[in-house]
Amino acid sequence: MINLFRLTSFRLIFIYTILLVISVFLIAFYLHLSTSRDLKNRVDEDTIKESKMLISVYQRGGVNRLARSIAQLSQIPNANLYALRNNKNDIIAGNFKDKESLWNLKRLDDGWVSFSSIRNQESINQSLPPKEKFFRGKEFILQGSYNLIIGRDVSNEVYLWKRFLTNIISATFFVLILGLFGGYVLSRNILNRISAINRTSIEIMDGDLSQRLPVGLIDDELNQLSANLNLMLDRLNKLMIGMKDVSDNIAHDLRTPLNKIRTNLEVTLMSNPTSENYKNSIQEVIQDIDIVINTFNSLLAISRVESGSLSLDKEKIDINKMLENVIDLWEPLAEEREIILINQCDQDVQLEGNRNLLSQAISNLIDNAIKYGPNGNKINVGAKLEKDNVILWISDNGPGIPDSDKERVLERFTRLDISRNTQGTGLGLSLVNSSIKFHKGSISLLDSNPNGLIVKLELPKIN
Amino acid sequence: MHILLIEDDINAARYVIKGLRESGHVVDHASDGEMGLDMTLSSSFDVIVIDRMLPKIDGLSLIIKLREENIRTPILILSALGEVDEKVKGLKAGADDYLAKPFSFSELLARIEVLHRRTNPETEETFLKVGNLSMNLLSREVHRSNIKIDLQPREFRLLEFLMRRSNQVVTRTMLLEGVWEYHFDPQTNVIDVHISRLRSKIDKPFNENQMLFTERGAGYALRSND
Repeated sequence: MINLFRLTSFRLIFIYTILLVISVFLIAFYLHLSTSRDLKNRVDEDTIKESKMLISVYQRGGVNRLARSIAQLSQIPNANLYALRNNKNDIIAGNFKDKESLWNLKRLDDGWVSFSSIRNQESINQSLPPKEKFFRGKEFILQGSYNLIIGRDVSNEVYLWKRFLTNIISATFFVLILGLFGGYVLSRNILNRISAINRTSIEIMDGDLSQRLPVGLIDDELNQLSANLNLMLDRLNKLMIGMKDVSDNIAHDLRTPLNKIRTNLEVTLMSNPTSENYKNSIQEVIQDIDIVINTFNSLLAISRVESGSLSLDKEKIDINKMLENVIDLWEPLAEEREIILINQCDQDVQLEGNRNLLSQAISNLIDNAIKYGPNGNKINVGAKLEKDNVILWISDNGPGIPDSDKERVLERFTRLDISRNTQGTGLGLSLVNSSIKFHKGSISLLDSNPNGLIVKLELPKIN
Repeated sequence: MHILLIEDDINAARYVIKGLRESGHVVDHASDGEMGLDMTLSSSFDVIVIDRMLPKIDGLSLIIKLREENIRTPILILSALGEVDEKVKGLKAGADDYLAKPFSFSELLARIEVLHRRTNPETEETFLKVGNLSMNLLSREVHRSNIKIDLQPREFRLLEFLMRRSNQVVTRTMLLEGVWEYHFDPQTNVIDVHISRLRSKIDKPFNENQMLFTERGAGYALRSND
């Protein structure tokens, strides 16, 4: 059996049920109290009026006149209750006969009394046990040790009050039980959903990141929470896979040059080398090691830019001049392969940013366009102002990037050839990506017509 | 050349000292800032190499102190904080050049040698001459053996940079920094193409000794041909 009180939902329902019961009880009690007081006041007024009349009769005509008046009054249907007693406590007039019940009447303030009797009634049905009747009245002590009680049957009110009390208590119990049961059912429902979430969480903690929390059809807060947690898990999973890919790729990318270095040194050592051989292989080894160092430097540069740990200066950059400079760097290499580099930049396009990072990004993009495009390719580089953004583009007539790979190429170590044997570290575009992120811009890879790639960078003019 | 190396990392220092001595230089070593300051004040050096992070007195403060003491020796600052901003800080403090760790030894050697030769300020010269190659910085004309060579602006800048550092190895990074003002290394070796272009203009047409050399694994050098 589950410990219901450990559940927030059950605790809440329980507390609310109790509060509901108490407030219903209080409201009913107050309503009853105020209506019954009204009724009592009206009855009491009647009694007082009648008693004044009877006392004046007594004062004028003595006991006999009084007894006669009482007898007359008793004839009226639905009459009040009268009991005139002498000093021996015998009832000498009136329609109330049960003199024993008057022995233990209860005296209240201002001569008011209350008493009850079982016997003073004409039983309509003899087989039923006589029901106790309740009365309320005013007692007057008259000269000559006479005692007059004028009263009224208040059994209805008393029974109503009693019935009200039992009703409200049973209703309270009913509400309480209903509340607890409802709370139990609702809590069990929520508990089931939460334990499903808990079970899945434990599976995920045990390492199965592919598991997802159950999400129901209703768009309630629990389902929203599960859906959001699932989105978080998706993102985490993607990051984990990314991390794994990066470390796999680092391992692969470092093993290749290291193997090459090792083989190179081994072969040199075996072949009875001359000092010229030594010199050659050492130079080759240095070049291979430089590749490894380059990879590390690029990785570090990317993570420094991405983590924002770098406090990079920002300055106003004349984009046209910057593009001119980068093109100047690449033009001879492009010309060797009959590739034409064209600057389509508008005049007076300015941007606040880090010149080095942006130049490197453009340089990497031109590098890619030259490296992966055919000889005789045409590469357009340009920039223009569009509202508060600077749009920069590099387009080529190369092979382009298939849609399925467009997201992937921005990640570290992505190289689109499976053999991973072409030149390059696979970090060029990642560095572009992180540098654009640093400038709070966005990068999109578009298809060029009929073939080729357009890299479009959108950068805010002022950071 | 008499070089002072102020570096607290003993392993790194040992390898740099060995390399520099094998290249024919005299090297003194100080392992902290205070010791470095004492040594600079007591004897004179041709070039001082200072690590950015040093015990007792850190690299930047040491450079500021030396410059206050009116010591004009060229200073190269080394640092693992290989970022452009750090470089600016170092140069502002009074260093003449900056090299980020990890560096290749040939890069360090090339920079030290260039620093040592940089005796006369660049701005004063209007005429450069290496062997029979001459450059007029006012008319922006280049001649070899009295034959005029047409150069594009960037080729002119590249040649000027090399001529000012003639007979010394200049690395790819130094060229990128000095000619293009870039503080990054493109993945593809674009500088090689620039150099071979320049070579096709200043060397190839002349039936003389080669002047512009590629030093494998190190960089390039413009050597006088006489």
